[in-house]
Order: sequence, then C-alpha cells, then structure tokens
Amino acid sequence: MSNTETLLSIKELHASVEEKQIIKGLNLEIKPGEVHAIMGPNGAGKSTMGYVLSGRDGYNVESGSVILDGEDLLEMETEDRARAGLFLAFQYPVEIPGVSNLEFLKASVDAQREARGEDAITSADFLKEAKAACKQVNLPVSFLKRGVNEGFSGGEKKRNELMQMLLLKPKLCILDETDSGLDIDALQVVAEGVNSQRSADRSFIVVTHYQRLLDYIKPDFVHVLSEGKIVKSGDASLAHELEAQGYAWLQTAPAEDELEG
Amino acid sequence: MSEWLESAITRAQSINDWLAPKRANALELLSTTKWPTRKTEAWRYTPLRVVERTKAKSIDDAAIRLLPVAIENFSAIELAFVNGKLDESQLTNALPKGLSISLGQNLSDSEKAQALSAFSTTKPDRHLFGLVNDVLAQDVVIITVEAGAEISEPVRISSLLSQGAESHTRVQVSLGEGSRLSVIEDIQAQGESLSTAFVEYNIAAKAHLEHYRFALQTGTNVSIGGSHFSLKDHAKMHSTIVSFGSDLSRLDTDIIHAGEFADAKLNAMHLLDGKELFDLHATVEHAMPNGTTEENVRGIVADRARSVFNGRIHIHRDAQKTLAELNNRNLLMSNTAEINTKPELEIYADDVRCAHGATVAEIDKQALYYLQTRGVSRSKAQVMLNFGFINELIDLMPNAALAEWVRPIIRERFAQMEVK
Ligand SMILES: Nc1ncnc2c1ncn2[C@@H]1O[C@H](COP(=O)(O)OP(=O)(O)OP(=O)(O)O)[C@@H](O)[C@H]1O
Ligand SMILES: [Mg+2]
Repeated sequence: MSNTETLLSIKELHASVEEKQIIKGLNLEIKPGEVHAIMGPNGAGKSTMGYVLSGRDGYNVESGSVILDGEDLLEMETEDRARAGLFLAFQYPVEIPGVSNLEFLKASVDAQREARGEDAITSADFLKEAKAACKQVNLPVSFLKRGVNEGFSGGEKKRNELMQMLLLKPKLCILDETDSGLDIDALQVVAEGVNSQRSADRSFIVVTHYQRLLDYIKPDFVHVLSEGKIVKSGDASLAHELEAQGYAWLQTAPAEDELEG
Repeated sequence: MSEWLESAITRAQSINDWLAPKRANALELLSTTKWPTRKTEAWRYTPLRVVERTKAKSIDDAAIRLLPVAIENFSAIELAFVNGKLDESQLTNALPKGLSISLGQNLSDSEKAQALSAFSTTKPDRHLFGLVNDVLAQDVVIITVEAGAEISEPVRISSLLSQGAESHTRVQVSLGEGSRLSVIEDIQAQGESLSTAFVEYNIAAKAHLEHYRFALQTGTNVSIGGSHFSLKDHAKMHSTIVSFGSDLSRLDTDIIHAGEFADAKLNAMHLLDGKELFDLHATVEHAMPNGTTEENVRGIVADRARSVFNGRIHIHRDAQKTLAELNNRNLLMSNTAEINTKPELEIYADDVRCAHGATVAEIDKQALYYLQTRGVSRSKAQVMLNFGFINELIDLMPNAALAEWVRPIIRERFAQMEVK
C-alpha cells in the first residue's frame, strides 16, 4: 500500500455512454478495509459506475478524477486497472464458450502475478487453489472444465464471479448485484465469501437492491445513487430505511441538501 | 496488353532450351490472352496495378547469397532458388535412394522427353501467370521418386528474393507408384520484389504426398504462384498452406482426381493485416469416382486488409460416390477489412456427398473486455478467444517441427492485430 489514507477517491466524475450522460458528478472516498454499499433505483448508473471504473470501451469520462491507491485509474488500460487491484464482479457475467473456466482463471492469475513480478504458479498448485475456491463458493469442481459461464445458471454465474475474486485477491472489489438471483443458501455463501476476504487493506463496494445481503455483510457506509450521483449517505441503518420507504422520496426531494437537513 | 506482359514475352522469345516446344505453346497462348481487368472473374478482387508498376527486375549477381529460413529440429533436402536461379551449392550431394533431383537441361534425352511431356499438364492453362512462368522460368527442376521409395527427409523448395528482384521458379515433381514424399514450398522475399513460383505434382497410384506451402512474405512483395496436383488411383495428398498478405499475394491450387479412390486434404490459413491482400483460388476436379476431398480454409483479416477466396469443386458426370467437403471460416477484425469468399460447387454426378459452408465471425468485444477486467492483456485475450480455429489447423500439420515453428509466428501476428 502506498502512502495514502484513501484507497479509492472519485471526484466530480462525469461520464457518458453513446453521448448520453449517465454519471453526473459522482463523489466517493473509500479507505482501506471499508465496505461501502451502494443502493439506488434501476437505471441510476450503478453498473455504469463499475464499467467506467474498469475502463470499458464506449464509456467516456468527460470530467473528474479517479485515484486508486495513489494511481490515476483513468489513465490506465482495463487490464492494468485489474493488475492495480481493481476487481468488478459483473451484474451479468459474460459467457465465453470455447475457453475453459480453468484456463480463464489461470490466465487471469498468471497475468496479475506477472505484472507484480511474481513467479508463475505451476498448473498443479493452481489447480489446488482453484478447487479450494470452488469449494468455498459451493460450485462442483466440474465447473472448472466447462466453458466460462457457459450455460451456468444465474446463481452459478454469481458464484463464479466470487470465485475469481477469491483467486485474484484484489484491493478493491466492486460487487454489482452479486446477490441478485441467489437462493437463500447461496446468499450466505456469497456473504461468507466476502466476509472471509475482509481485511484491513481490502475494500468493497457492494451494489445491491436488498438490505438482506447487508445483514450478512455489515457495511460501514450506505449510499444512495440516483441519476448519476450520490444523493444520500449514511450508516447501515440507511439500508433499513430504504427497505421500508423505497425511492419515492427521490422525486419529491428538490435538492440533496434538504435531504441531509 | 500491359507493358509488363509485353516485356515478359519479349524476354521469353530470346530463351532457347530443352523446353522450347512448351514455351512456344505458352507464348502462343499468352499472345492471345487479355490482360485482366476488374471485369475478369479470376482477378476481380485482385487488381494487377502493382504488377504493371513494379520496379522489380531480374538480378543476375552471383555474389548474392540467400539461405532458406532456419527451423529448429528440422532438416531438409534444400532446393534453393536465389533470385530465380538454382543455387546448386545448397543441394546435398548424397540424395536418399529412390530420389532424384535434377535441372531439366541435365537430364538424359529419354528423361528429358518424359519431363517435357509431363510439363504443364497438371497446371491448367487458364492461369495467366502460370503461362508467364512457363515462358520465363529457366532453371526448371525435376524431382522424381521411384516407385515404392519412401523418402523420409522432406524436400524444401525455397524461392529466395533479394531487394528489387524478379524471379520465376518452376519445379515438377513426380511420385512413382506407392512412393512417399514430403515437399515444402517457401518464399522468402525482400521488398519491391516480384515472383512467380509454380510447382506441379504427379502422384501415381498409391503414392502419398505431404505438402506445405508457406507464403509469409509481406510488405511490397508481389507473389503469384500455384501448386497443382494430379492424383491417380488410391493416391493421397495432405496439403497445408499458410499465408500472410502483401501488396499482392495470389495462389492458385488445382487438385485433380485423375484416378479412383484418391484422397485429398487441403488446410489453408491466412492472417492479413495493414493493407495486405491475399487471394486463394482453389479448384478441385473430381474426374473419377470414389474420390474424397476435405478442404478447410480459415482466415483472419484485420485493419484494411483484403482476403479473396474462391473455392471451386467440380464433380464430373462419372465421379460417382465422391465425398467432398469445403469449409471456409473467417474472422473479421475491423469494419474496414474485407473478405470476399465464394464457394462454387458444380455437381454433374448424382450419387455424391458434397457439403460446403462459409462463415464470417467478428471478435466478441464483450468477452475481450471481460478477460481484460481480470488482468489479461488485450492481445493475450484475443488469442485465447479466437486463435482456436487456426490452431486446430496447425495441430493437423503432420510435421511437428514445422507446426512448432509456424505456430508462434502466426500467434504473434494475430496477437498484434487490432480490433477496430
Ligand atoms: N449503451 C447504452 N446506450 C444508452 N443508454 C445506456 C447504455 N448503457 C446504459 N445506458 C443507460 O444508462 C442508465 C444507467 O444504467 P445502469 O446499468 O448503470 O443502471 P443501474 O443503476 O445499474 O440499474 P439496475 O439497478 O437496473 O442494474 C440506464 O438508463 C441505461 O439505460
Ligand atoms: Mg446495474
């Protein structure tokens, strides 16, 4: 960790997709070890935030800055952002037929180790780690042989995302609705997976619609993202409030300062 | 007629050697041939401007020494043409038993007569530059494998060109009954050069030819060539063609099932970048019954490159029980690249099994992005996602040393290509 108190700092971020502005002045500061939950209505820009941070093609940053661990994230290629410790668990993980899950996982781990100047891991050692990760997220090891996410059920895809996080050991994990579509047992598996990775130098952004996940993963902060910016922040109790009231207040609220007050 | 062709004809008229009768015939045909335009079907997508404007010329400099490319764990009987002239010093003195390699002019009278009667019989006359090669190739080499001889060491025919050179090379290969031979055709050319390189193969009954043609020359080179095969009863051939593109790279292959139960496999792959052009015209003639052909042509085309593939399979009326498959798969890397593919099946027999298909795929940008978010570099991700269909054909190369030589060269070229 470099000499900074902040792991992620997003300042006045504006970003657009296909000329349409989606992120409109986003500010967020995350310190090492913190868990931030982000909630908000459909279409608010939560997933877009993850895509912008990871540098997806077609997502254009118009202004603002993003610093991860002292480095200018927006200057980096997508793969370099990952190597710098950013991990995005997709809301809709991508299927890649023809590439086995194991090959995919190994290539990811190899690339990141190489970037850090570490020795390559042997195939046998990696297989051991991958099997252990499978077990931890409750996926049969046969999923290592299948094409990446190919024909996986919604919940299996989410667990596969989590498995990647376990193997890659990132500094900042963005979990985009990793709890959607999960059965009750799987929700616990995901929560335990995340909790097992919580540490003083790893932070999380947990995007979710349900307060239930936050019962298992206790967030330090909860933010409401609406129309491309954070309109309200609070502690874990905010999630309970939202669960009770929904987002109708967003329309009636003329300005965010009034909400704070 | 173009100036270039006129000058070629004039130059050819002053050559007088053992091939004179064949050359006279080809000259006759050339004098009545129209220089191709965009309306000429065989050259529709491949303009010949670069030939018309070429500055390449014949270079006769004995001091220029060029060597075939070195390949790990690979040795061959080297037939090296330097700027069109056979470099006999590179040919081993001790050929394996049953194999003979000789310049046409050094053959005995009876051998000469035989070679002459076979000359230009497998290569069809419709190939304009085949005729040019007929009249301009001088060091014509004849390779003969005796009946029953199994030659384990491959023969490599290299057309080596120095900067600015023009070269016309010609080899005639005949495999005796039940014999085996492996031949590699290669071009190594430096810039602004022009070559025609044609090889004819007569494969007797039960003989087996393993064949490779590498056309990895790029840049301003202009290469036009052909590999032509005639298969007798129960003869077999397995051919692998690997090409990049250049200002103009054109290859014509003809496979003629001239006997029954012949078996032909052709696997061709090409990777084109920049403004390169590669044009493959592959014709298969099933003239006799019970033949099988399996043809796989796969290409990756990036940037502003253009690929042309014309795959014709002609099943004659008597060629019953023919089994022929033609499959063309392409990956388009950019929306300014161009793929022109045209399978042509002509079937005149009623009891045959014949299939063909052509597909063009694009790179899956979402999958590419997904891999990159895991730290995998774009180029590595590209290879993981899309190299498989080319790799499959490399895996099918019977010669492991050649496969392991060419695999990283192709993979690296693909990894460097950009998605646009
Ligand atoms: N390629 C695109 N072209 C136009 N609009 C887009 C594009 N991609 C996203 N959007 C729009 O951007 C807005 C934000 O989408 P985003 O996926 O970030 O929402 P979200 O907050 O994650 O919603 P959800 O809770 O439903 O997952 C939406 O209105 C969406 O339609
Ligand atoms: Mg979303």
